[in-house]
Amino acid sequence: MDTIFLLQQVLNGLSFGALLFLVASGFTLVFGLMRISNLAHGAFYLVGAYVAVVTVATTQNFWAGAIAGAVSAAAVGLVTERGLLRRVRNQEMPEVLVTVGVLFVIADLVLAVFGGNPKSVGAGGGAPSGSIAIGDFVYPQYRLFIIGVTLVIGILLFIIQKHSKIGAIVRAGVDNREMTSAIGVNIDKVFTGVFIFGAFLAGLTGAIGSGLLSLSPSSGTEILLFAMVVVIIGGLGSIHGAAVGAVLIGLIDAFSKAWFPEFSYFTIFAPMALVLVFRPYGLFGRPS
Amino acid sequence: MTRTQIVKVAAIAVLAGIAIALPYVVTNYYVTLLSLILATALLATSVNMLAGDAGLFSLGHAGIAAAAGYGLAWASRQGFDLLWQLVIAGVLTLVASAIYGLISMRTNGVFYLMVTLAAGMVCFGMAYRWSSVTGGDNGLTGIRRPELIGEYWQFYFFVLAAFVLVTFALIRVSRSPFGLALRGIRDSESRMRSLGYNVPAYKFVGMMLSGVVAGLAGILLVWQTEFISPSFAGFEASALALVMIVLGGIGTTMGPLVGTAVVLAISQVLSTYVDRWPTILGALFIASVILAPQGLIGGMRALASRVRARNRPQQLSREG
Repeated sequence: MDTIFLLQQVLNGLSFGALLFLVASGFTLVFGLMRISNLAHGAFYLVGAYVAVVTVATTQNFWAGAIAGAVSAAAVGLVTERGLLRRVRNQEMPEVLVTVGVLFVIADLVLAVFGGNPKSVGAGGGAPSGSIAIGDFVYPQYRLFIIGVTLVIGILLFIIQKHSKIGAIVRAGVDNREMTSAIGVNIDKVFTGVFIFGAFLAGLTGAIGSGLLSLSPSSGTEILLFAMVVVIIGGLGSIHGAAVGAVLIGLIDAFSKAWFPEFSYFTIFAPMALVLVFRPYGLFGRPS
Repeated sequence: MTRTQIVKVAAIAVLAGIAIALPYVVTNYYVTLLSLILATALLATSVNMLAGDAGLFSLGHAGIAAAAGYGLAWASRQGFDLLWQLVIAGVLTLVASAIYGLISMRTNGVFYLMVTLAAGMVCFGMAYRWSSVTGGDNGLTGIRRPELIGEYWQFYFFVLAAFVLVTFALIRVSRSPFGLALRGIRDSESRMRSLGYNVPAYKFVGMMLSGVVAGLAGILLVWQTEFISPSFAGFEASALALVMIVLGGIGTTMGPLVGTAVVLAISQVLSTYVDRWPTILGALFIASVILAPQGLIGGMRALASRVRARNRPQQLSREG
C-alpha cells in the first residue's frame, strides 16, 4: 500500500462526503424542525442538477449554472411545501407519502424533458478543471474545489445556527415548536423558509455534484439513499451528525469501491446496521 | 346470520365465481395480466400486513421479494431441481427478512420507513453490482416455470390459490393474540411495553411473517416473467407496493388487490397510450393521500355506512 494511493482515496472519500453533507444537512434540518422525512429531497437534487447542466451548456458559465440550479430547486421546494405538504401538516405518514409522490412525478418529468441518457456539466467557464501535481501526487482540482465549497457552506451554516437570530429561532423550533410559536414566532413561515433552504442546498449539490457523479433520472434516489444512511448514522435532525456521518460514509465508500467494488453498497450498509443496533436514533440524535 | 354476513358471503361467492370463470372468458393477454396483478398484490399484501396491523410502513419490501426471486433464478440457472430452487429461495427469503427485522425492530414511524428503504436499496445494489452471480444490469433470463403450471391458465389458477390462501392466513394472524399485540404496538408502543410485551420481538416476528409473503410473491413474479433484473428490487418497486396499499386502503383485506389492479391498469394498459404514466400515477397518489387518506376500499366503506345510516330511520318507521 503506497501513500499516494491512500491519499487519493482519502481525498476521493472526502469530496464525495462533502457532497453528501450538503444533501444531508438540508434533509436533516427539515426533519429536525418539521419532523418530515422529505423523500422529495432526491427530486430537488435532480432539478438542481439538470437545470445546471442546461444553463452551463447555454451560458458557458459554471456559476450561473450553480445558481440557476439551486434557485429552481428552491422554487420547486416552495411549491411542494405550500401547495401539498401544508395540507397534511402534522400527520407523519401522509407527509412522507406525499413526498414519495413528488419524487415519482419529478423523476418522471425529468426523464420526459431531458431523456434517460447520462449527462454531466460541461467544462464551462469558472469551474476549476485540470489537476494539480505535487511530485508524484496528481489530483483533479474539481474534487478539491468541492471540498472547499462545502467547508465554506458548512462553516456558514454553523455560524448562522449558533450566532444569528434566525439560527436561534430554528434551534428553538427544533427543541420545542409549540413553545416557539407561543412566544410569537410565526412557525409556519419558519417551516417554509427552512424547507426552501433545504431544497436550495439539495439543488446546489445537484449542480456541483453533476460535475463529479454521473447524472441520470435515477440519480435522485441514489443520492437520497446515501443522504438517508448519513442522517441515520449521524442522527436525524443533527447537523453535527450529518457532518460526521457524511465523512464516514464518504471514506467507506471510496475505500470499498477501490478494494471490493462488487460489495460497495453493502459496506455502507454495515456501519448503518451497527449504529441502529446500538444507538437506534443515531450517533447525535435524540428519540422523537 | 346477520345481513352484513350474508352480504359478505355472497360477495365472496360472486368474486370466486368470477375469478374461476375469467380464464374461460377473456383472452390470454388478460389472464396473464390477472396473474401479474395477483402476484404483485401478494407483495402489496405483505406490506399491508405490517402497515395495517402494526402501523409500520416499509419502503423496502421489494428487496425481500428480489432475494427470493434471485435465489430461485440463480438455482434454476445452475441446474438445481425444483425442490432445491425453492429451498434456496426460501433460505434467502428468511435471511433477508431476518436482516430487515433485526435492523428495523427498534425503530418506528418514519425511522422504520427509512431503515427499510435503505435495506431495500442495498438489495438493489447487490443485484446490480454483484454481476458474477446476479448477471448485473442484464439480470437472469430463461427461467422456466415448473411443467405442472407451465400453461398461462394453469399458472393463473396457481397464483389465485396462493393469493386466497395467504389472504385467509393473514386474516387469521391478524385476529390472533399475536395480531392483536401488533395492533396494540401500533396504537401505543409505550403502553405495550409497560404491559410487559417485548415490542422489538413482536416487530421482528411481524417482519419475518411479512417477509415470507413477500418472498412467495417474489417467486411467483419470477415465474410470471421468467426473468429477473435489479429493477425488481429497486426503490420504484418498493414504493409502488406502498402506493398500491395506500390507493386501495391501508389495513383492508381487499385494499392491496384493488390498489394493485389500479396501478397495473395504469402502468400496463394506459402506458400504451400515454408515455408519462408515472406522472399520472404519482399525481393520483398525491391526490389520494391528501383527499382520500383511507383509500378506495376505505372510501367505499365510508360511503356504504353513510347509505346504511340514511336507510336506518326508514326501516324503523316501517317496523313501528
